[in-house]
Amino acid sequence: MSYLESRLRKFFKLPHKGETYELRSGLVSQYAGDRKDAIERVIGAMTVGKDVSALFPDVLKNVATHDLEQKKLVYLYLMNYAKTNPELCILAVNTFVQDTEDPNPLVRALAIRTMGCIRVDKIVDYMEIPLHRTLKDDNPYVRKTAAICVAKLFDLSPEMCVEQGFLDALKSMIEDSNPMVVANAVSALLEIEAANRDTKVLVFDAKILKKLLLTLNECTEWGRITLLTALAEYKSTSEAEASSIIDRVSPLLQHENPAVVLAAVKAILMHINAIPQESQDSLVRKLSAPLVSLISTPPEVQYVGLRNIRIILEKYPSILSREMRVFFCKYNDPLYLKLEKIEILVRLVNDSNSTVLLAELREYAMEFDTEFVKRAVRAIGQVAIKLEKISKKAIDVLYDLINSRSEYVINEATIVIQNVLRRYPTQHISTIISIIADINLDQLEDDEALSSYVWIIGEYAKHIPHLEKILDGMVSQFLEFESTVQLALLTTIVKVNLTRPSPNTQKLLQDTLNTATKEVENADVRDKAFLYWRLLSLDGDSAQKAVMLKKLPPLTSTIEKFPPALLNELITEISTLGSVYHQPGYMFAAGDAHTGGKVQTKKLEELQQLAKSEIVNNTVKAENLLDFDDDEGDSNSANADNGASNNNILAELNDLFAGLSTQPQQPSSVSPPPPSSEQSNGASSLFDLMGGFEAGASQNGAANSKKPEEDLLSLF
Amino acid sequence: MGNIFSGIFGRLWGINKEIRILILGLDGAGKTTILYKLQMGEVVKTKPTIGFNVETLTYKNISINMWDLGGQTSIRPYWRCYYANTAAVIFVVDSTDKERMDIAQKELHMMLKEEELLDSALLVFANKQDQMGALSAAEVSKSLNLVDLKDRSWSIVASSAVKGEGLTEGLDWLIDVIKEEQL
Repeated sequence: MSYLESRLRKFFKLPHKGETYELRSGLVSQYAGDRKDAIERVIGAMTVGKDVSALFPDVLKNVATHDLEQKKLVYLYLMNYAKTNPELCILAVNTFVQDTEDPNPLVRALAIRTMGCIRVDKIVDYMEIPLHRTLKDDNPYVRKTAAICVAKLFDLSPEMCVEQGFLDALKSMIEDSNPMVVANAVSALLEIEAANRDTKVLVFDAKILKKLLLTLNECTEWGRITLLTALAEYKSTSEAEASSIIDRVSPLLQHENPAVVLAAVKAILMHINAIPQESQDSLVRKLSAPLVSLISTPPEVQYVGLRNIRIILEKYPSILSREMRVFFCKYNDPLYLKLEKIEILVRLVNDSNSTVLLAELREYAMEFDTEFVKRAVRAIGQVAIKLEKISKKAIDVLYDLINSRSEYVINEATIVIQNVLRRYPTQHISTIISIIADINLDQLEDDEALSSYVWIIGEYAKHIPHLEKILDGMVSQFLEFESTVQLALLTTIVKVNLTRPSPNTQKLLQDTLNTATKEVENADVRDKAFLYWRLLSLDGDSAQKAVMLKKLPPLTSTIEKFPPALLNELITEISTLGSVYHQPGYMFAAGDAHTGGKVQTKKLEELQQLAKSEIVNNTVKAENLLDFDDDEGDSNSANADNGASNNNILAELNDLFAGLSTQPQQPSSVSPPPPSSEQSNGASSLFDLMGGFEAGASQNGAANSKKPEEDLLSLF
Repeated sequence: MGNIFSGIFGRLWGINKEIRILILGLDGAGKTTILYKLQMGEVVKTKPTIGFNVETLTYKNISINMWDLGGQTSIRPYWRCYYANTAAVIFVVDSTDKERMDIAQKELHMMLKEEELLDSALLVFANKQDQMGALSAAEVSKSLNLVDLKDRSWSIVASSAVKGEGLTEGLDWLIDVIKEEQL
């Protein structure tokens, strides 16, 4: 049979069946060139998101080749699709092992890297020999790749890492002569530690510290970041040690890579407390310039920088005080950047630069981007509340803005004015009242703005012209408002009735209470109305006045602050994703990536023990089927714990309600209102009873979150 | 340009074409040793093959892609992934392993039933003839029921991979058969 004949026969026997068929026949072609073409096309299809996992065995066959290009492509494919064909992966093992002996270091590194990336249990058993070999390779490139591979293996099989001595090998690599290898070994150890919080694998001594500090200047920027991170995690034992770390790290503050700069800043801040106070101050001042340098980067990087600066600024408020102009918004900054810059600006403002900032904010408020303008208006309020000297000017600016700008400015300004009044209850009344008097109810669309407006007219009832007419209008559409506005309106009407009673307000009050108790479906509003009603029907108005006309505690700042505990945590998370989210890492990254196996959270020493007991257990199990193994025991006890704590919570709740029903009503024993949190849940709206209005921007709500039960009880 | 022409002509005359030969057999039969003996002429120290080895050798002006697949029980099911476009199969038997001759026989006949291998030639190496107590080629042939094979060119050759005996004879026969069929 001739060659041509057989080709023809094949052609007729096997019809073409789409792209996968074509690729498959290319992959098993008898021509090397065709096979490589087919592999390229497979990778092409893979990168555009087509599922080519069906070709796994055929691609795999091409892994044994001396063509480096083809090898890379096949390895790439393997990494991507190993999970889809776990049992077929072992067919590649022989090639991996051979490649780790290849004369070309690139091939050796490629092989061990790919092997580490194939996260399939079956492969793990065969990693022992190649990993041992590459960890001791003559070539630093291979060693550094193998170092990372240990961290990957640890994730899959910590027992094996410990038993085979990979972990110890990794630790000893810190003393390697090549800086790249040192950096990667440290990086691998850090990763293992991050995934196993209670495992201490990166243990420093003076020798290692010296080695790291020396290596710091020799490695690549990514290596530097790794080492800086390690240095930041290290707890210095003496003042001398801390200052030597700071001395070595300081030059990196001038690095052109912003990630290095931030990592260096973090490393310094982590050790700053160990050195004397006066050098601390000068050191903090030195950090200004590097932080400012983060602002001359692309917008995305700037944003990361700004988020970090905000944390640092809160910890060290004096830093950057001369650099305010750097943070002025540019006209072409994206919105997220502008908003973040305003956050920084309101924190940097002081008596000396407030006039400049106010003028700048005024400019921002004249822009056309709604979000930005709103934020600028709020910032004006924040500045006014922060600095008394500038408050008059700030309010004048607000006045101008309200007169010249559209409705969303008025909405935002109303909220701001409420806060300003809580800071300066009497100083600027004349201007403010004229602003409020000019506001037309139709202009207020935002619920928060409406609530603020209602609060203001209730609080300053005596100064508001045509008050009864305004209230008339509002009461007539009581049912159309959101419950937050309804709550505010209830309080305001009661207050007006106490401070400026007239037949008309009496009638308004009666109507409102009627509507609120009979027609409103929201339980909070009903309850509040009932409570007021009960209070008002008591004899003598001293109790009523004590409750209803109670002033809210004055505001000192409307600039959000991190709770101290969070701030301290965030400082340790500088230059990580946590610093951008302003949340500690475990809040958003507690996923399965690291805590997938229960085994990994256990301590290293326990691991070996566990392996042994597993064997014993298995033999015991054969005899006694009722025996549970370790893991089940653990989860059972954990469940029991949960149950217990749930019970505790229930018990507390029961106590609370028991208290409510048995306590006699004693309006005279009213305690000052606790600052409520921003959410208008049932409990907080009860507190509003006394304050008259929900504190829009109360800062210490979190700190007081434990108190409500006690306060609630003392209320009655 | 030159490349394209040589590619086209090469393809027409089958010059760049590679002949694919599989080396199969139970674990420890000596497949990897045979492969490297043929390719490099040396006896290499081998470990059990987890997966496969593939080497290209030029023999009598024909370029041969020789695939040595691991013979362990766990890997045998995956042999079938490699059957496509196979010109010939070399089945290696450890002639001293009398107990597992039966398993070898079953694996061999099961493999030959595959559609993709219907056209391929079969060469059996009765390997490890250098060792004491090795069965002769005829005895191995009987144990493997080779006479039952129909519609297929097959041959059995007594061999010793470590000494290099019998390998070239076997390959010579195989190449002749393949040339006859394909060219």
